[in-house]
Amino acid sequence: MKNLMIIAVVFFLLQPSFAQKRYFTKTGTVSFRAGTAVEDIDGLNKSATCVFDASSGDIQFAILIKGFEFKSALMMEHFNENYMESDKFSKSIFKGKIINLDKINFLKDGTYPVKVKGILEIHGVKKEVETNGQFKVLGETVIAIAEFEIVLEDYAIAVPSLVKDKISKTARIKVNCSNSILK
Amino acid sequence: MPTWKKILIGFSLIAFFGAAAGYYLYNKKPADVRRLQPDLSVTANFLILAFNSDEAAANLKYLDKVIAVKGIIADIKIDSSTGQASVILDSGDPLSAVTCSFYNDEIGAVQKLSKGTEVVIKGKCTGKLMDVVLNNCSIIQ
Repeated sequence: MKNLMIIAVVFFLLQPSFAQKRYFTKTGTVSFRAGTAVEDIDGLNKSATCVFDASSGDIQFAILIKGFEFKSALMMEHFNENYMESDKFSKSIFKGKIINLDKINFLKDGTYPVKVKGILEIHGVKKEVETNGQFKVLGETVIAIAEFEIVLEDYAIAVPSLVKDKISKTARIKVNCSNSILK
Repeated sequence: MPTWKKILIGFSLIAFFGAAAGYYLYNKKPADVRRLQPDLSVTANFLILAFNSDEAAANLKYLDKVIAVKGIIADIKIDSSTGQASVILDSGDPLSAVTCSFYNDEIGAVQKLSKGTEVVIKGKCTGKLMDVVLNNCSIIQ
């Protein structure tokens, strides 16, 4: 009985070190589409940071607004100066939690649906969001994928009426981060 | 030639050049950073030190500038599915490094690099997250 107690205590003490597993990347991609039938507007950021904790479900993404690449110089200038004001609001951050963590087995390869809820900060405005995505577990790599839409007005991004047939009221955002285990 | 004709020709010339300039600007691609001379040359250690000690001042000095950064390669990330290549330069600070994201067609040059060797990378500084990030990178040396 005493032995059993000791084993139980040891197990209890060891558990955090077993369970605490963090994954991260500094080279994820975040892209968006905010064009219309009149014009394509696409931006791509290849240096997104993502970190998540497989035991607590805490997840965080961060990008530098100036890091978005565009096909046209003018588009990039307008994006930074008029819409996102990247000198003032240099970063965009998502901080949240994986709410269906119990459905993901990080030890078994496969694709798992993921539900994430948290605060998304864009253009200095913080808003609560919830979205569905996927985790692709491949050994010690976890690829986090999500696609969702935001309403520009929600984040105080003003589109002048002169260009409102070129710029959509919403932006479709795609996230693709290949995370490696942090040892 | 009557005056009204001159005025008409003058106006149509202005309209034509205006439209041409507008068209040119509209279709202008972002500058190819590979063809630009770096504004500044620094070591990865110095760059991180500058951002750690005073981020606002470092932003003024480096943000949106083409810089050449010399450092030791800590990691090379190549994602064959997206054709994306990045190099992480060691800065002596375990908490931050310099992340350099390359032009997609520079992937061949990045593949020839190896960890632990010294390299000089040119790119556009986009600011600091955890790392200082360079965009549109290519290898100088």
